[in-house]
Amino acid sequence: MAPAERVNKPALRGHGVTSARATRHRAAAPAAAARAWTCRRMRARVRPVTSKVLITGIAGGQGQLVTRALLQRDGDYQVLGIDRRPWEQRPRGVTMTLTDVRKRKFEDIVRRERPDVIVHLAGVRHFKANPALRHEINVNGTSRVLEFAMAHGVRQVVILSSSYVYGALPENPYYMDETFPLNSSRTYPEMRDLAEMDMVATAYLWQHPDIVVSVLRPVSVLGYHIHSAIGRYLKRGRVPTVMGFNPLIQFLHEDDLTEAIVLAIERGVRGAFNVVGPGAVPLHVAVREVGSVPMPLPEPIVRPAIARLFRWGLYPFPPRAMDFAKYQCTLDGSRFRAATGFAPRFSLAETFAAVRA
Amino acid sequence: MPARVESLDARRKTRPTAALPEPSRALALRPLRAVPPAPPQRASATLRGLLREVGGELWKQFTPDVVGAIDAEVAARLTRVPIQPNEYGYDPWGMHFDAVRRALVVTTLLYRYYFRAETFGMEHVPDGPVLLISNHAGQVALDAAMIGTAMVLEREPPRIVRGMGEYWLPTVPFVNLLMSRAGSVVGTPKNCTDLLRNQEAVIAFPEGVRGMNKLFSERYQLQRFGTGFMRLALATKTPIVPVAVVGSEEQAPAIANFTQLGRLLGMPAFPITLTFPWLGPLGLLPLPAKYRIHFGKPMRFEGDPDDEDAVIARKVQRVVLTIQEMLDRGVRERAGIFF
Repeated sequence: MAPAERVNKPALRGHGVTSARATRHRAAAPAAAARAWTCRRMRARVRPVTSKVLITGIAGGQGQLVTRALLQRDGDYQVLGIDRRPWEQRPRGVTMTLTDVRKRKFEDIVRRERPDVIVHLAGVRHFKANPALRHEINVNGTSRVLEFAMAHGVRQVVILSSSYVYGALPENPYYMDETFPLNSSRTYPEMRDLAEMDMVATAYLWQHPDIVVSVLRPVSVLGYHIHSAIGRYLKRGRVPTVMGFNPLIQFLHEDDLTEAIVLAIERGVRGAFNVVGPGAVPLHVAVREVGSVPMPLPEPIVRPAIARLFRWGLYPFPPRAMDFAKYQCTLDGSRFRAATGFAPRFSLAETFAAVRA
Repeated sequence: MPARVESLDARRKTRPTAALPEPSRALALRPLRAVPPAPPQRASATLRGLLREVGGELWKQFTPDVVGAIDAEVAARLTRVPIQPNEYGYDPWGMHFDAVRRALVVTTLLYRYYFRAETFGMEHVPDGPVLLISNHAGQVALDAAMIGTAMVLEREPPRIVRGMGEYWLPTVPFVNLLMSRAGSVVGTPKNCTDLLRNQEAVIAFPEGVRGMNKLFSERYQLQRFGTGFMRLALATKTPIVPVAVVGSEEQAPAIANFTQLGRLLGMPAFPITLTFPWLGPLGLLPLPAKYRIHFGKPMRFEGDPDDEDAVIARKVQRVVLTIQEMLDRGVRERAGIFF
């Protein structure tokens, strides 16, 4: 599966003249301009000029960022979305519906609107919800999104997975690529749904080759707008860690992840991709950079303590999550870089500053 | 308006004197607290303090600051190592130069004053990616540390050797930190390939635990070599530098090895040496055998990395024979075990 073959340039996507930029370019030669004009008139009746993007979970931090980024791209994209929460201050032209991926209404929207691209960001990432609900929304929800996309002629589905699906295991090599097995559920059953969701999506790659599925697995994301698990962990003030362990953790700025999602849409890349930021630092360095203090405790103390606090609802992460404070889970992002030309714009220091502020 | 200003001024003047207690009374209360009562001193404590004062001064006066000098030398040499860490000082595999420096101060003390190591043939180690293959012995793996120290102290420009650790090392608290900060990684094929692609010098001991726990009667006889290193060298087209460490095989002469007992205790082996387990953890301290580290000419191999075992084994055998020959010559030509 050579990534280069799958890259579609926006202008060659079979929409005729899709972008305003391309139109402007053709206006230079009069004959070409006239041809482009007729061409555009003819195609406009058949297909919309711009790509229509449906974002699930549009009111979340990442959804809002992707929406704004898409709208900034010279009017190439029309954005609509669904979410369970309302987004009051959404930009003009963005239509959103209050529903969720499990509802019938969601299928109606896909059928009626016929989006070109679905960006699937909706999901439950916190552990306060019971595992059944997490599974229903994350796994069955993703499965439904893909099903409807297939049924209603959606060209591309972008699924946001995460680096955690690989799991933090002592025998992990550094910089795992996309071919590594998703091991997280071996030691961290609370996160099995995320690995399963990823597998549902990657199964579509060979089951349905006529739809472009892009599965993005970003490393730990930090930012002002989003509430990531690692962000909440690092900002706890006194951060419990496991004494004698200090694994390398890679970080990515929320704006860089947004850029990655938009690039995945623009290039129409197909497959699973690790999205990697500017680099890795040990956990304790990250904790201090964010403005907290690491609190290393011996493992026989920290595990039972966290198990109890989690059960009583006083600590947001299950005890198994401590594996990520013990062992490396670092990813190789060269495949996505080669396929899209993605390069993170924010350095590590800038990424930490975004959460500290 | 003027009246109001006046009253404010007046209040300002009056307030401090009214708020503060009278100076004479405040001072009268103070002396008790100003001079804390001297703690009752025992004669032994005074004597210890005196010894520390005088002894420390004498020590500084008559001995050169060995540790400080080594620290400065190592730091100066490390500035010439061509590895670029990130903005926080870490390289992609978690190595940190400060940690490497601190580890090197300790190993340099061992290298120079305990094992009085000598290095031969350092000029054979090329720049760029290289795989160092060595014999492994001595119950406690100090041979890797000594080769790494030699590569920093004796080579121009100095190089940091990246070790390939056992799979269970990352699960041991603190040990995993020491390992990764000093530049070692778990010995998976992927880590090794990545490091070599990054132009690093990687050391591997294909004998593994078989070599480390060999008995005194088997000294300087290479145990069975793994073949993984040869496939990696072929895949990455990396030159192999054979290394023979003479001296490490006498540092902890084992007379027996209770593997079963070791397995019960979660260790790869349970050696019986002259000092272990009789002296407890202190018995792990090796004897001060003199180390002689021989680097051989780089060997370049070509072929299919996925070739049959027999083909790979023939290539491995050439490396084994080279190291064995270097070992035999080193043992034959040395003046003695401890000097």
